[in-house]
Amino acid sequence: MSNDNINLRGLTFLIADQNSYFSSICNSILRGFGATKVIEVHDANEAIKALTTYKIDLLLCDAKLPPTSGMHFTRSIRWDKECEFRTLPILIMTSDTRSTMIANARDCGANMVVVKPVSPSSLYDRLAWIAFNARMFVDSAKYFGPNRRFKIEGYPNGVGRRKGDNTADIGEVTGPALSQDDIDNLLKTARNG
Amino acid sequence: MSHGTLNKAREFFVDSRFQKMARRPGGMPREQALKNANENVDAFKPEFTAWLDDRLNELFDAIPNPEAVEFDKLEWIDAADIHSQQLADVAATMDYQFVSFVANNLCMIFEALKRGAEHNGTIITCHVDALRLARQQQYRGMRPEDLPELSDGLRRVLNSPSLQPKVDDNDRSRER
Repeated sequence: MSNDNINLRGLTFLIADQNSYFSSICNSILRGFGATKVIEVHDANEAIKALTTYKIDLLLCDAKLPPTSGMHFTRSIRWDKECEFRTLPILIMTSDTRSTMIANARDCGANMVVVKPVSPSSLYDRLAWIAFNARMFVDSAKYFGPNRRFKIEGYPNGVGRRKGDNTADIGEVTGPALSQDDIDNLLKTARNG
Repeated sequence: MSHGTLNKAREFFVDSRFQKMARRPGGMPREQALKNANENVDAFKPEFTAWLDDRLNELFDAIPNPEAVEFDKLEWIDAADIHSQQLADVAATMDYQFVSFVANNLCMIFEALKRGAEHNGTIITCHVDALRLARQQQYRGMRPEDLPELSDGLRRVLNSPSLQPKVDDNDRSRER
């Protein structure tokens, strides 16, 4: 990314999380980034009211948002053909990092997942990633949302590869590489058990 | 771009207002934004211990005594799960990383109980004791890796056979 500074002035954020203390912290983090309008709601019904009342630019939604779940709520937004905010950027926030959870968030049409507890750097980097990395939307019989097979051309700080990760040292070549026949034989042996 | 049919996916480009606005020049430099955000988070810290004590007390009150009849019922789990979730979501941001770790473990235990795992008093009690320990000032700032024996012990508990569902959904459908 050539420029990872984001300008949040004038944007309206909606935080949907039943934990009001968490929402307050999240709100203060966004304001630290320069956001000027942040709305907090505590369940999906309040979230729908806020979405229809205000011009929300980005939704931060808890995975366990009552009464059903953040994924269910996200899916309901994405699947409603009449919904004017159907393509709204949505970040799912969860403390459950199991692959099934991440896959669920992706499949319901979320743009990205933020792991709780949220740190300022992780939130900033995900917002920057959404801002600077355009993704096509897919409308199919079974899915509506950002393309799930997107290519990451260099991670922003904190997404996937961590900022503190060291580059790997690759040793000098000490012998000839395997020929295709060698590789085929290895795979054949592995397949045959 | 072509319009989709029932069987064909349609792809289209979306440049949302968020994306357009966020890319405008004149944004705050990242380091400054993080500094401001961290200062805002720090402003919560003086009052956090009171919030933490309240949530912990609510959690402890929600969990029945393992000897009591209520312990084997499901009614108390939702409330206890909400309190643990709140602790897990917030404590690490406020420098109580170990509280978040233990509370997150508890959430997974409650989830297992909801799925039909055995109500094991020892497992819950050892997590409650770990939370009482983690709440103390001297454990503030400690991460699970700073307390390897305790953390590994709690992780092992999560894999205990007693937390596995007694009968899985496939077995139930076969029984029907």
